[in-house]
Amino acid sequence: MLSGLRLQRLPSAHPGIALGARVAAIFLALLLASIVLEISGAAPLELGIQVISATFGSTYGIEDLCLLLIPLLMTGLAVAVGQQIGAWNIGAEGQFYAGAFSATAIGLFVPGPEILILPLMFIAGAVGGMIWILVPTLARAYAGVNELITTLLLNFVAALMVYYVSTGPWRDRVGMSNSATPRVKAEIPEFWGLVHWGLPLGVLMAIGFALVLSYSKWGYEVRLSGSNPSAAKYAGIPVRRHIITVMLLSGMVAGIAGMFEIAGTVHRLQGGISNNFGYLGIMVAVLARNSCVGVIFSAALMALILNAGIILQTQGLTTSAVLAITGLILFLTAIGDELAHYRITRIKI
Amino acid sequence: MDLLTGLFSTAFLAGGVLALAALGEVLAERVGVVNLGAEGLMAMGAITAIATVTATPYPMLGFLAALAVGALFGMVFAAATVWLRANQVLCGLALTLMGTGLASTIGRSYSGMPARAVFERIEIPLLSQLPILGKALFSQNILVYLIYIILPIALHYLLFKTRHGLNLRAVGENPAAADAAGIPVNAIRFAYVTAGSALAAGAGAYLTLAFVPSWSDGVVAGRGWIAVALVIFAGYRPIPAVLSGLLFGLITALGFVGQARGWPVAPAVLSMLPYLGTIALIIVPVLAWQRMRRVMAAPAALGEPYFRDVR
Repeated sequence: MLSGLRLQRLPSAHPGIALGARVAAIFLALLLASIVLEISGAAPLELGIQVISATFGSTYGIEDLCLLLIPLLMTGLAVAVGQQIGAWNIGAEGQFYAGAFSATAIGLFVPGPEILILPLMFIAGAVGGMIWILVPTLARAYAGVNELITTLLLNFVAALMVYYVSTGPWRDRVGMSNSATPRVKAEIPEFWGLVHWGLPLGVLMAIGFALVLSYSKWGYEVRLSGSNPSAAKYAGIPVRRHIITVMLLSGMVAGIAGMFEIAGTVHRLQGGISNNFGYLGIMVAVLARNSCVGVIFSAALMALILNAGIILQTQGLTTSAVLAITGLILFLTAIGDELAHYRITRIKI
Repeated sequence: MDLLTGLFSTAFLAGGVLALAALGEVLAERVGVVNLGAEGLMAMGAITAIATVTATPYPMLGFLAALAVGALFGMVFAAATVWLRANQVLCGLALTLMGTGLASTIGRSYSGMPARAVFERIEIPLLSQLPILGKALFSQNILVYLIYIILPIALHYLLFKTRHGLNLRAVGENPAAADAAGIPVNAIRFAYVTAGSALAAGAGAYLTLAFVPSWSDGVVAGRGWIAVALVIFAGYRPIPAVLSGLLFGLITALGFVGQARGWPVAPAVLSMLPYLGTIALIIVPVLAWQRMRRVMAAPAALGEPYFRDVR
């Protein structure tokens, strides 16, 4: 009897193999990047040791890492939440800007005690993010317009808006910089070293979303509408209403990320404040396979990579090089995901 | 009438970037592949062109080098999405991140310098004497003629008047049927995704050799994404794609005129117009022309990888 090996494609990938594919993709991307560095004359191994000692050698390094982790966690969560209903929120960058913008508006122009202003800024950030995703949401829900492009295009509008106010009407007229607003007085208190309470809040939000999505009726309906809209509609689930709610929630989370950045880390609104966090958030969600809890871990990984790029700036590496390496990881992950669908079976002929 | 001539002249020049990138995207999407990497490909084309003309004084060489780099990246993208059947959205986003990041990294040493050689204007005798449009359309650089006249007509003929074009559209509409009819689905997809990527990178070269003309970080500024949106608006057809590129050139030109004439609008607000305009353009038609839906519809198999052996 003859037997042969045959590739068989499974309808869904085994989670363990998909995780393995991710690890392999990251490893391969970093390997490729080091080869490029080696060719261009740098010593990748030494740079790696330098990064690790600068990050984990002092509490200061770990604090820096956590400060990067907060916005990545939030934008990653925003993208992952949108994905539950099958919506691509590529506009987390813009919603981040909008959240930072509205939080700054409250912080600069509303007088009052900090204990009142801080919650107001939080609400403003959340609402800012929701307003920024409102038009793409309604267009998707009522006209079936692809939200991927509409959310993305609004990123450029938001960046221009923030650039305009921070160099124009809201410019700091006293300080030396004329490309940022004055310092926002209300600050999120620190919870450990330099790290503010945004981190535990963000982690709680991620866990909260995971619990609601897994264990509530609403969460079940949302996940069903995401994986099979027509079946969900047939079962009497209000798919359109769920799309609107989930997309607005996604924008809200990204807006809160912007508020955290203003009130917790940067304290001034300036152009480029989002630092590509919105785009890196897509990466975070993809690496986590859109699991809200998984986002916490993949955000930590992305924070590590981004932090490495910042540390290596003195060595001539730039944040754009980090963006390119991130793209490479995403590319290899996408390939790995598809390959994880296959298994080798032995067939008898 | 000087104002009108200037306006249209700038509109043709500015719209060329979007028109060329949109033509590339039409090719990819007609065979059923969404290429969201247009933004990254344009960045790579833009920096390749600048690097080439810094070394040699021939703008055409810069343009061709950009096409080659675009084709190379396109092949990598097509290998992943067509042969390995990886998720097209993810691979496209990855291509955009890679292209943008890589171009910025390479571009640091070229930043801010004007291009050493640019595409010069070529006046076409007689035609350039026509009132208003004559000066605007027929006194432009050579790429403008390529983008607005030669390419759209050639691609329209290829797609809608030839047997090969019919095969190509069949691959985008119903790959299984095309396969059954003996059309090499994956080979056609691979070829046209590669060609489309080359055109997107060519649009980047046009940006830095004819329109801006210099490299700076973020010079592409979302034009790749606008091009992807224009293709939807144009109903996946080459001639409307070029015309909608021109429409956007007109919006950009209006912004320039506004700035030059000191209209009481902040420059940042004028710069927002193309993005807001694009959003309006892809939302409004869906609401307004319900009956046009069938004509404007996307290829039926758009975004779906083709598996022959898996059920």
